Amino acid sequence: MLKNIPNGNAVELDPKKSAEYVELGEFYFINQKWDKAIETLQKALEYDPKNPEGYYNLGVIFEARNKKPDAKEMFEKALHHKPEHKAAAEHLRRLVGA
Amino acid sequence: MPKRQFVVIGLGRFGHHVALSLAQKGCEVLAIDSSEDSVAAVADHVTQAVQCDATDEKALRALGVNNFDVAVVSIGENIEASILIVMTIKELGVKEIIAKAVTPIHGKVLSNLGIAKVVFPERDAAIRVANSLVAPNIIDYLELSSNYSIVEIPVAEGMVDKMLKETDIRAKHGLTVIAIRRKVPYINDEGESDFTEELRVSPSADDKIAEGDILVVLGSNNRIASYEASR
Repeated sequence: MLKNIPNGNAVELDPKKSAEYVELGEFYFINQKWDKAIETLQKALEYDPKNPEGYYNLGVIFEARNKKPDAKEMFEKALHHKPEHKAAAEHLRRLVGA
Repeated sequence: MPKRQFVVIGLGRFGHHVALSLAQKGCEVLAIDSSEDSVAAVADHVTQAVQCDATDEKALRALGVNNFDVAVVSIGENIEASILIVMTIKELGVKEIIAKAVTPIHGKVLSNLGIAKVVFPERDAAIRVANSLVAPNIIDYLELSSNYSIVEIPVAEGMVDKMLKETDIRAKHGLTVIAIRRKVPYINDEGESDFTEELRVSPSADDKIAEGDILVVLGSNNRIASYEASR
């Protein structure tokens, strides 16, 4: 199955590859390579647009960079694809202040 | 150091959250309210939760309120009860009393009773919301006097990787950075990426600013406002 992405390219959906990119994104995040982490996690979402971990990790990075509206959107997407995602729910609760 | 013991009287919205927050921080908390439902809502979280009439001196004495280090009186709706309870626990010998006030007169009376602190939660929350609306970049705000404040400001993009002395925050705007809140990424016990915050108090002029840092800044309100407007 192919999925069109905004820049006009198309990638074959591949959840396994998506998970690998998430792991790589986490590695960049831990090493504070924020831009590289974002790029890698976006790649992960191209391979699986339903991967909650991709959205969650992007949310954490946006929150760490004080980009709260973007972070909120990512945590909401993570929860949309995995409603029981505890960490995403906790981060969202903190951001919204509920 | 022994744990401080707190008694929270009145478990409305404010008292409820004070009791839960203290309990979450590992403090011993006795929570008191006349409503069974309010007591039940905190019972599983605090050391002891009791339904009783806190205006009754005998009841407070029987609960050993005099043995507590700090009392938080959070009764707003019934001003008479609030004042009566504060007077009673003061007479019982509680050294540190913090009471919630809902009107300036209520606050004035409580203040005249010689307690440690009077708080106006609704007024303070309203001021914070108003400040955050007027200056959306300011994350938090602490008024030191009518002229000076401490504020938390996220770093602007142009400041990243610069040393503090290379920014114009002190030279041009006359503000002093008293601390930097920095995000430190880590992997939590569940294997999820997360971050914690590290507070660098009294940073040196050579300290480099990182992306995502939040500057804790001290200055006059005018200078803070002009800095905020320049961003």
